[in-house]
Amino acid sequence: MDRRSFILRAAGATVLAGTSSAFGNLRLFGEGMWESTPTNAFDLVAVKGGEPDVMFVKGIEALGGMKAFVKKGQKVVVKPNIGWDVSPERGGNTNPKLIAEITRQCFDAGAKEVVVFDNTCDNWQRSYKNSGISSAVTGAGGKMAPGNTEGYFHDVTIAGAKNLTKAKVHELIIESDVFINVPILKNHESAKLTMSMKNMMGVVWDRRAWHANDLHQCIADFAAYRKPDLNVLDAYYVMKRNGPRGVSEEDIITMKSQLISTDMVTIDVAGAKLFGADPADIRYIQIAAAQKVGRANLDQLNIKRISL
Amino acid sequence: MRYLRNIRWGIATLSLVLITIFFLDFANLVPPVFISSILSLQAGPAIIHVLGGSGLAIAGLAVILAATVLVGRVYCSHICPLGTLQDIFIWTAKRKFKHRKFPYSKPQYLLHYGISFIMIAAAIGGSFFILNFFEPFSSFGRILSNIVRPLLFLLNNFAALLLSKQQMFLLYEIPLKGLTVSVVAATLLFLGGLFWLSFYYGRYFCNTLCPVGGVLSLVSRLSIFRITIDNEHCIDCGLCERVCRARCIDSEKRQIDFAACVGCFDCLSSCPTVGMKYAFKKTKEPPQAPVDDARRSVLAAASSGMLWFFAAQQPAPAAGPTYEETRRTPVVAPGGRSINQFTSHCTACHLCVSTCPTHVLQPSFFEFGIAGIMQPRMDYSVSYCNFDCTLCGQVCPTGAIQPVLPEEKKVLQIGKTHFVKEDCIVETKKNDCGACSEHCPTKAVRMVPYGKLAIPEVDNQYCIGCGACEHACPAAPRKAIFVQSNAVHGVAKKREETKLISPVSTPQEFPF
Repeated sequence: MDRRSFILRAAGATVLAGTSSAFGNLRLFGEGMWESTPTNAFDLVAVKGGEPDVMFVKGIEALGGMKAFVKKGQKVVVKPNIGWDVSPERGGNTNPKLIAEITRQCFDAGAKEVVVFDNTCDNWQRSYKNSGISSAVTGAGGKMAPGNTEGYFHDVTIAGAKNLTKAKVHELIIESDVFINVPILKNHESAKLTMSMKNMMGVVWDRRAWHANDLHQCIADFAAYRKPDLNVLDAYYVMKRNGPRGVSEEDIITMKSQLISTDMVTIDVAGAKLFGADPADIRYIQIAAAQKVGRANLDQLNIKRISL
Repeated sequence: MRYLRNIRWGIATLSLVLITIFFLDFANLVPPVFISSILSLQAGPAIIHVLGGSGLAIAGLAVILAATVLVGRVYCSHICPLGTLQDIFIWTAKRKFKHRKFPYSKPQYLLHYGISFIMIAAAIGGSFFILNFFEPFSSFGRILSNIVRPLLFLLNNFAALLLSKQQMFLLYEIPLKGLTVSVVAATLLFLGGLFWLSFYYGRYFCNTLCPVGGVLSLVSRLSIFRITIDNEHCIDCGLCERVCRARCIDSEKRQIDFAACVGCFDCLSSCPTVGMKYAFKKTKEPPQAPVDDARRSVLAAASSGMLWFFAAQQPAPAAGPTYEETRRTPVVAPGGRSINQFTSHCTACHLCVSTCPTHVLQPSFFEFGIAGIMQPRMDYSVSYCNFDCTLCGQVCPTGAIQPVLPEEKKVLQIGKTHFVKEDCIVETKKNDCGACSEHCPTKAVRMVPYGKLAIPEVDNQYCIGCGACEHACPAAPRKAIFVQSNAVHGVAKKREETKLISPVSTPQEFPF
């Protein structure tokens, strides 16, 4: 470690001591200081009116660029929603254009490796392929990793959890330097809405255990395990009903929006409002806020709004 | 004439390799239309398929029969993968015991024809109990699907594990789920028996137990080209008899039982002179089987007939609707049309089991009754049927699972969903769950208000019986939601909902 980065880390650790999301915020903070960009780093960036990749380009710029999150030589894991064997227009999976852009930017920032995976619901090979994500990632130089068998998942304990004290987590989440969570905003029969915290279900092996032990509590519990360094909520095609799989394109509205934040609670509260739902109706958001996983009060946060 | 043996070797290897690839292609890389075209030349499935009326199979069967009428049972040494497998065993035997020979043994034609007749008649009558043990293509398929494939998976998973440590994901772990112990045991038993028979008695299976061999043996009695011994040039060296795997050459009498000849052409290569001929020639009819042989055949036939009668007995219909009993009838794959249609055409080759990308198709043992032994069923404990997939119907060589178009499949109802509220998480734990509704591709299962919670509600007019709800249900040990088999497949209604209108522009840019 050279002197410069030592000072940065020390400064960051002092400022952010006490929060468990030190790493993500530290990099953001440190980068901001060094390049003397405005010090009021945003808690949430909301973008509207562009293609998924274009919105991300503009949005991440406001947060100091991908270099604020990915350092040279680091290994990045990107976790989209690839739950279903449906086309991008069906809004069941994260938009492939967004995943391609994120992958590209990670490499531009100097990432050694970018690996993408999901523990899918439908057959994983078909979901990877038909979501368009597989070709998007490999086209951008990244790798698709399987998450289809138990062997890839390892036991972890979750501190402070009420119901979900243990889980089996994919080794990529455990091993990687940077974790980027890229959910899609959609209606969900079980969880009401699926966004960043619900998307984390795809990094664990046994989802049935969550369903069997109070789904909302488990979602909130797991949100404290390993906070993503960055969350990007895709709200380009938004499934308004029949979620999470959807029945047809009739269920979709084109919202052309995107949210970016390092805080899962913040982004989920904003996502719920964007969807037209009341965050107070979504129990896992309430539990997560109460368990101090993140900040729910948008009024007190610094939000950057971009209309394209 | 000696080149014929080399041609045989080439074609047999190609056939064996292709079929092996079809069964081991777990990534579904081979186009299904190529698989079904090549497999239309498999006589056993083709016969079953033609009885059910199919174009491609009729062409395949016509080619096989024409070839047999022209040049004899070359099918048995060129196209049949089980024949080639036996040839490998025979080759091993000859390597191990340098002087191993299979001396002439009078073919038991009547016994063979009797057994073949009973198998085929029973199959037409609806019982595949005996046929499914001996139909050669299906037997070979089961060896690949139930023994070789799991071993390949283990090897692959080991390699995938090593590679994933190096961040290489070219290979991936494949779950070894749904292996049926009884089917694996039956297949191992068959493989052991076949090895023993071919090791010591050459192609004995083909001339005694094989129903396809029986049919082709009868047809080969009409053959135009035949192998004969030329009395002018034969020097009585006996080499031809020594190499004959079908044991049909009597070198002392200089006679060949051509209806037992499997067309390997080894004899032509072995003859040191030009004493063997393979030519257009009318020979005298093979001698009639002696009386004692015939008597034995009749006895065998009679006992097999009793076996068939026993086998054709369907299991008694379930008496009371207990939880277990409501689930007992297995679900037939989409394209099977009905339990009856499926079970009366399936030879249990397990190609659909090997092909199914979700592994929801798994072999049964007695679930379809004794008559439907080892026929595949939908096993929702392993997985569920992919909404957009129609692969099983595209590869099935017998027409037991017929091809269906993707749009047809999406409304093809193979079962209906049954919900047991008392077993549901929402009821037993008073928690939200909804896993069933989440996975349902048609939203036949929806969550409806239940106090402060939401509970599943099933509308079976939209249900296609894919089993996604059952597979996802976290209730244990009894699933709270499961598929009950449709005896005859139906058509589900498609949910028609109005298209949602996308907002053009909201006055407030962001709602926060």
